[in-house]
Amino acid sequence: MRVVLAEDLHILRDGLVILLEAHGFSIAAAVDNGPDLRRALAEHRPDVAVVDVRLPPTFTDEGLQAALRARQDIPGLPVLVLSQHVEQLYARELLADGAGAIGYLLKDRVLNAEQFIDAVRRVAAGGTAMDPEVIAKLLTAGTRNAPLARLTPREREVLELMAQGRSNAFIGQRLFLSESAVGKHTASIFAKLDLPPSDDDNRRVLAVLAYLNDSREPPPRR
Amino acid sequence: MCRTHPAASVVPMMNSMLRRHLLSVARGLVLFGVAVAALVLSVLGIVAATLVVPYPLAARAVRGLSNLSRRLAHDWSAVAIEVPPPIDVPEPRRREDGWYVHDNQLYKHRTMPAFLLRIQALSKDQYFGREWGWMFTDIVAGGLVAALPTALVVVGALAVAGVFGFPGAVAVAVGVASILLGVAVAPLAVRLNALWTRTMLQPSDRSWWHRSGIGPWVGRRSAATWHSAGLVGLSFAAFGAALLTVAAIVVSFGGLLPLVSPLSRQLVGLYRTYARKWTDEELPTPYLPAPPPPLRGSDGSYQVGRVLYAERAAAIRAARHGGVLRDPATWRDLLWSAGAPLFAVPGLIPATLVSVGFFGLVWQALWWAPWGVPIGLFTGYWVSPFYLWQGAGLLAPNLAAVPDWVSVFIGLAVSGVGLLLAIPVLRMREWWDRLLLTPTRSARLAQRVVDLTESRAHAADAQAAELRRIERDLHDGAQARLVSVGLSLAAIEALMETDPARARALLAQARESSATALTELRSLVRGIHPPVLAERGLGEAVRAVALDTPLPVAVAVDLPGRVESPVETAAYFGVCEALANAARHADATRVDVDIRYHDGLLTVTVTDDGRGGAEPTTGSGLDGVRRRLATFDGVLDIASPPGGPTVVTMEVPCALSSPKTSTS
Repeated sequence: MRVVLAEDLHILRDGLVILLEAHGFSIAAAVDNGPDLRRALAEHRPDVAVVDVRLPPTFTDEGLQAALRARQDIPGLPVLVLSQHVEQLYARELLADGAGAIGYLLKDRVLNAEQFIDAVRRVAAGGTAMDPEVIAKLLTAGTRNAPLARLTPREREVLELMAQGRSNAFIGQRLFLSESAVGKHTASIFAKLDLPPSDDDNRRVLAVLAYLNDSREPPPRR
Repeated sequence: MCRTHPAASVVPMMNSMLRRHLLSVARGLVLFGVAVAALVLSVLGIVAATLVVPYPLAARAVRGLSNLSRRLAHDWSAVAIEVPPPIDVPEPRRREDGWYVHDNQLYKHRTMPAFLLRIQALSKDQYFGREWGWMFTDIVAGGLVAALPTALVVVGALAVAGVFGFPGAVAVAVGVASILLGVAVAPLAVRLNALWTRTMLQPSDRSWWHRSGIGPWVGRRSAATWHSAGLVGLSFAAFGAALLTVAAIVVSFGGLLPLVSPLSRQLVGLYRTYARKWTDEELPTPYLPAPPPPLRGSDGSYQVGRVLYAERAAAIRAARHGGVLRDPATWRDLLWSAGAPLFAVPGLIPATLVSVGFFGLVWQALWWAPWGVPIGLFTGYWVSPFYLWQGAGLLAPNLAAVPDWVSVFIGLAVSGVGLLLAIPVLRMREWWDRLLLTPTRSARLAQRVVDLTESRAHAADAQAAELRRIERDLHDGAQARLVSVGLSLAAIEALMETDPARARALLAQARESSATALTELRSLVRGIHPPVLAERGLGEAVRAVALDTPLPVAVAVDLPGRVESPVETAAYFGVCEALANAARHADATRVDVDIRYHDGLLTVTVTDDGRGGAEPTTGSGLDGVRRRLATFDGVLDIASPPGGPTVVTMEVPCALSSPKTSTS
């Protein structure tokens, strides 16, 4: 699987290259700035891009902007965005096109190599990988949201993992439940949140995230 | 077609008409009764207002009687008059310690502040003025008209009874004619009364007087008339203090000046306060800041100028004294006070013309009936409605040739001239005030130096405290954790061969430590300068924090470019603080954040629909924001009436850098 990697810190870039190559990825390009990233994405059309949000030359959200623009040109291009901090705002922008194949993780997550590689694979396969911290923020911010309050604690746990992009099998394993029990929980969650039921892992994650995002918009004032 | 006798339909009609007319006579009498009650109540009301304590009761009676009159106009003549809304008296604010606060004064019991709030609410009610006017005048206008049918009927009845001594047939004819006339005009009289009630009691902006523009025109000029008279009075108070100052200078060669100057400054200050309220001027306080207290020299004495003082208090007094003498504002105040008698004559001209013209010649003649008629009836001596004009005729015989009634129009003309002069006269006074009462350039600069010194000290303190906090957080947090990771790694190295199981456990621990260190560093960085602010600027950063707030927050941003970095950070933390307060204390259900930039001024408002009553205590988060903004000449204002909404407004003058490039 071919990867384009963008990370401006030399030491981290090398670490990521070693990690990805050790797990059987081939590095198509490893760049350290925004313009190079844009060129590399257009030229190599990789199976997955791993991108740092903040890149030279502006040291603002150059990486995020490049990734978003590349996904406009190549719809559904799998992108895993890494950052020192996660913002709901950015998560929302990444998910806006509804095409899936999006990951958004804290850089800390590379410390757990297996999980990180798993996330890269999931994104490359068209799935989602949302950082637990983003999901936690979405859920806390939505505590005043009435339908969310109707969920049982167990359903909330399932919802959290589901929103991160996990499959029913993984959720069952993590929560010590049978896969069919997880299926019942997800059906109940979808019913309580008024979402159309869906079998496709990716689509249901997007539905949940869209729900969490939309329910945060206050109505316009008179 | 059914054939009926014509009388069959005419008779009931006649009957109902007669009933209506007779009823109207009675209604007219009732309306006259209301007018009498209004006059009595107006007198009682004046007494109550003077005694203050029974005033709320009187106000309630006034409102009750006016509303009765409004209702009768509606029920009897179908003239609709808007009823004033109930007066909203706010609940006194109670502090956590049980004391009540009103106007910077503490009260143990609720009664007094509740009473004061009620009086305040009553004095602000815009309907009362018109209601008082109605009460005073109804007896001579609406009341008189309403009483006319009854009077005609009574006079007719008396005539028939032969009281007036007409011959029999004539008496009956005149009497019956009078009675018939009274009954005939009764509905019209009742309707005229209703129309008069509407003229007097409807909201002022609804009246012809207001809508034609004459009312506002007269209102503005009459305000200017009384304001310039009031300012003459205030300036004379300051003039008295100026005379005292001159006396002090002459008697003691300036030695007594420090004793007099507080008084004179206070009186000029009073003038400034009212001039600010009544004119368009700003008139900031112009005095130089008090000199810093003298420092103790090496010989233990305090030096002020070329004089040494043994006692600190004496040295401070001397330094203040010198400060007052050297302050140009002292001398400018004195010079300004000298203008008081000069400007008194023009200042009083409009008020004099309006008083003499309107209240002397017009009002006096209109108001003659309620007091002149009773006096004439009881004493037989009839005072002329134009007695003031006749009095003037005694002084100037030429005037006596003019017919009395013309004096009303002369009075109107004279007061019109007074009103026309009012605004130019007030402008002249403003010019004089601007010339001498405003701070000089050097005083402005001196004040600015004081402000800047203060805000710089705050900024330096805040920065030092911030750095100390960061140092402590790093020292106890990330640094310590990295040391522990290093130690674990060393142990793992040693244990790898001998005890692989334990090495693996340590490895997990080391990984956890490094993860915690990262989390701590992240929250530290967020507190110093949030990454999203660096990446996206103020608007998007506020959107991001709005998403993290457990309340619905609507963010509106109008920024044509990027705000200067330090201002941006201060404003960002200000918004965070306001949002946190709204979420924590206000019981709000939604918050609106508005960020805009116009004419070099960044304005950020945070509005929540919570319960209000927020107090900006010193040491609170918003107080810190206020001081942080002060470093950039910015201000923070909190408006939070009990019951909400709470509006936090931050304004910072600043420049915008490059126009924004990122998409939103």
